[in-house]
Amino acid sequence: MIFENALDFFLRMDTAKMLAYFWPFFLLDMTRYLLLDVVVISIYSVKNWFQRDKIERARRQLYSEKPLVSLIIPGKNEGKHIPRLAESLARQTYKNIEIVIVDDGSDDDTEEICRKLEQEGKIDRFIRNEVRGGKASAANTAMRFSHGKYIVHIDADSHLAFDSVETILLPFYMDPNIGAVGGDVRVANTGDAFVTRLQGIEYMKAISTGRTVSSELGILRIIAGAHGAFRRDILNRLHGWDVGPGLDGDITLKIRKLGFRVVHEPHAVCYTNVPKTFRALAKQRFRWDRSMVRFRVRKHRDILLMNSNFSILNFLASAENIFFNLVLDFKWWIYIIQIVLFNPSVLEYIFLINLILYMLANYLEFLVACALLHSSMRRRDFFLVLYIPLVPIYTGIYLRIVRTYAYIMEFLHGASYMDKWNPWKVSRVVKREKL
Amino acid sequence: MRKPCLVGKDKQVVPEDVLSIELTMIESLDSQDVSCWIVDMSDWRKGWQKIAAIREHLSPKVYLRPVVYLHADNSMPAEISKAADGQLAHGLDNSKGLDELSSRFEATNQWIDHLPDPNAAVDANIAFKVLRLIASRNNVQEPVTTVRRKSGYVYPILEPLFSKRDEGALETLEFLEAQKLISGDFVSKAHFCSSCSSAFINFKEACPQCGSDDLNVDELVHHFRCAHMAVMSDFKRGSSMVCPKCDRELHHIGVDYDKPSIMYSCNHCSHGFQEPSIMTTCYNCGRSTEPENQHTRLIRAYSISAIGQNAASYGMEALFSKILDSELQLCSFDAFRDFYRVEAARIKRYKKSESSLVMIALRDIDKLYVRLGGRATEVFAELSTVFRTVLRLSDVITARNESIFFVIMTETSTTYAERAVERLHEGIIELLTNNLDFDPDMSSLIKPITVDMDLDQTLEAFLQS
Repeated sequence: MIFENALDFFLRMDTAKMLAYFWPFFLLDMTRYLLLDVVVISIYSVKNWFQRDKIERARRQLYSEKPLVSLIIPGKNEGKHIPRLAESLARQTYKNIEIVIVDDGSDDDTEEICRKLEQEGKIDRFIRNEVRGGKASAANTAMRFSHGKYIVHIDADSHLAFDSVETILLPFYMDPNIGAVGGDVRVANTGDAFVTRLQGIEYMKAISTGRTVSSELGILRIIAGAHGAFRRDILNRLHGWDVGPGLDGDITLKIRKLGFRVVHEPHAVCYTNVPKTFRALAKQRFRWDRSMVRFRVRKHRDILLMNSNFSILNFLASAENIFFNLVLDFKWWIYIIQIVLFNPSVLEYIFLINLILYMLANYLEFLVACALLHSSMRRRDFFLVLYIPLVPIYTGIYLRIVRTYAYIMEFLHGASYMDKWNPWKVSRVVKREKL
Repeated sequence: MRKPCLVGKDKQVVPEDVLSIELTMIESLDSQDVSCWIVDMSDWRKGWQKIAAIREHLSPKVYLRPVVYLHADNSMPAEISKAADGQLAHGLDNSKGLDELSSRFEATNQWIDHLPDPNAAVDANIAFKVLRLIASRNNVQEPVTTVRRKSGYVYPILEPLFSKRDEGALETLEFLEAQKLISGDFVSKAHFCSSCSSAFINFKEACPQCGSDDLNVDELVHHFRCAHMAVMSDFKRGSSMVCPKCDRELHHIGVDYDKPSIMYSCNHCSHGFQEPSIMTTCYNCGRSTEPENQHTRLIRAYSISAIGQNAASYGMEALFSKILDSELQLCSFDAFRDFYRVEAARIKRYKKSESSLVMIALRDIDKLYVRLGGRATEVFAELSTVFRTVLRLSDVITARNESIFFVIMTETSTTYAERAVERLHEGIIELLTNNLDFDPDMSSLIKPITVDMDLDQTLEAFLQS
C-alpha cells in the first residue's frame, strides 16, 4: 500500500518539485557518483584499449631494466597474517623484489613468526622495534633499510594477486612524471560477516571505481597504505611518511605538491582484511574520517590558497574531497531538517523513494565496477549484488552518522591527536606542535 | 707412628722425625711408614714434576699417599697450589706441626692400608687411579678454571695424574660417573671444540649473509615529531643530534626521541640486520663453526658413591668386558680351561676335525673411555657387535682382562680362524680408526688345539709377547 502511494506521489511530481524533494540525489550524488563514473570509466576503458601497445612497451621496459623493488610491510601484532602475505609475494610474476617487514613493538608472536620466515628465506629482512613508535616510524624504518628503486607499501593484513607488483609498476614506465601508484584494494574476507559483504561492495565502488575516476580526472588524493607504490627518490626527498593517522593521504598530497602525478591502477589487486563487526568498523572509520579534517583542512590547507605553488589539480583534489565528504555530509542534515519541517506528512514516501533511488544508483555503480574489474573479480564478488538493497542504509545512515561524529570531534576536540593508533609519546608531541 | 717423608731432600737438613728419600728410590721405601710426601715447592716447576712422578706411580701405596707442600709461595698457579693435600707453613723444624699433619692424614692412610694386597697391587688403569684418589680423600673434587690446560678446567688433586697429557680428566670423570662410581653436582656448563676439545673458543657475531665478523652496531633513533627513523650516526651533527628530516635538534630521550632498536651493518657486504649469526673459532685448532656444532659439557663437582667406594677398594669391573659378556656370554677362565681340555680330548679321539685357540690382545682400550668419557659405552657396544658378528655361537670365549680375549673356535682350522681374526680386525679398524680416528693396538695368535699343548703356558707366552 505504502509502495503504491509512494509511487503515485513520485509520478505526480513535476521536475521542479522532484528536484525540490530529491535535490541531494539528482543534483549531487547521481551527478558525481553515477553519471561521472559512467562517463569517465567508459573513456578510461576505450583509452586503455588504444593504449594496449603502450602498456606492453612499459612491461617490456620494466623487465628489461628489472629494477629491485622493495616491498615494505610495517605492522604491529600482525604475525598471523604474515605467512599468507609472504606466500602471495613469493608467487609474484615480478621476481626482483626484496621483502622487508618491520614489527612495531608487537606483544604477540609476530617476532617468532617473522624470524622463522626470515630464516627460511621467505622474507629478506625482518626488523623489530622493541618499542612501539607508530605506523609511520615503522614504514620509515623499512624504507631506511630497503634498497629498491621502487618501494611498495603493503599492509600486513593484506595479500596480493600474483601479478600485482608487476602491474602496479607499469604506470611508472608509461609516464616519467608519475611519482606514486595506488593499487586496488579489495576485501579479502567478504564471506566472514554481513558487514564485510557490505564493505566488499563499498570498496568496489569507492576504491576500484572511485579512485580510477579520480585518477583519470587527475585529482586522486590518496594512495592506499594497503597497497601503494612509490619512487624511492621521491620518498627520499620527503624523508618518508609523517605521523598518522591518515599518513597515506598525507604522503599522496606531499607527492602532488612536489609536482608529480599520482595515479590509481585498478588491476594491481590487493586483498585486505576488513573489520568483521559494525563496532570495529565504526572505530576504523572514525579514525579515517578524522584524518580528512586534520590533513586536508588543517595540514595541507595551503593547497586551497592562491600562492606561488598553486596547482588547479591539487586544489581540485583537496577541494573535491572536502566538498563531497565534509560539506555535503552536513547537507544531509539540512535536507532532513527541510523534509521534517516542511513536508512531515510525506516523510515516509520521501524516505522510501530516496531508498529506491539510491538502491538503483548502487546497482548501476556495481555494474560499472563489474565492467571495470570483471577480469580480476572473484566469483563470490558477483554474488555481492544480492546485498545492494541494504547499501543505501549502510552508507547513507550508518557511515554518515560515524562520519559526522568524527568531523565534529575532530573540529571541536582534535580527537585524532588522542588516538591510541599512535603511542602517546608521539601524539603528545604532534598535538603540542599542531602537526 | 707414621712419619712425613721429604721427597728429594736436595741440600736441606732433615730433622729426625722426618723421613727423606730421593724420587728415584721411592719404590724401595716401605711407604706404609709414610704419613705423607713432603715436596719442596720453592721452585714450583721442579716440585710439580715430583708430584706428577708420585701420582703416576703404579703402586697405590705411593700414589695415593697425601702430598704436602713445603715452602709454597703465591707465584704458583691456583690449580697447582690446590693440588696438594696440605701445606707446611712453618718448615720441617716444627715437630708439633708435623705430628698434626700425620694425624690429619691418618684416615686416608688407613684407607690405603685396608686395600687388598696393597704391596703387590699395580694400578695401571688411569680411571681406576682417579677413582681411588677420590675415594681415599672422601671429599668433593671441585673443578678449578685454568688457562694452562686446553680443557679450561682441572680437578687439582687429580691434576698430576694427567700431567703428561693435556686431556682426559673430564672424560675419565664422565666415564666414572656413567658407571655410577662417582656422582656429580652441577657447577657450570662449558663449550668445547668438537675437533680438539679445547675450551678456548672465541664466540663472535657474524653477518648472516657473508659470514664476515667485521660489523658495525648502531642504535636506531625514532624522532617522535616527524616519525623519522634512522641510525644514530645519521642524527649526529657535531656533539648534538639533529633530525635530518625536520632539522630539529633532539634533546631528551623519551621526550622527543627514543631508541627502539639496534641494527648491525656488515662492513664487508653492506647487509643490514638485527640478528647476527654467532660463530665460534677455536683458539687451539682454529676451526670455525656454529655454536651448536661445538661440544657442550657439564662441569661438575664429583664425590665418591657407595658403589664407587666399593669398586675403589676391590677393583673396577671392566666395562668393555661387561658389555661383551652381555652380547657373547663370556665364560669364566676355569670354565674355559675345562672346555679346552674337553675339546682337545675330542679332537684326539675322533681325529676328524680340527679346532683353534685364538688369543686376541686389544690394547689401549682404556684410552677409549679416557677419550670419550660417558660416550665410551656406546662405542663398546658397537665393538661387542663386531665381535658377535665374527664369532659363532659354538665358539667359547673368555676375557683375561679388558684387553685380552681367548677364544676356542670349534671345528675351525687355523686358516679359517685366521680369516675370522682378519674380519674381526677389519671390523675394529673400521669402527675405531675410520669413525673415531683412534688407532687400536691389536695383536693375535692362533694355535691348533691339541692335547699336547699346555694351555697356561701358551697363554702366558702370548701375554709376555
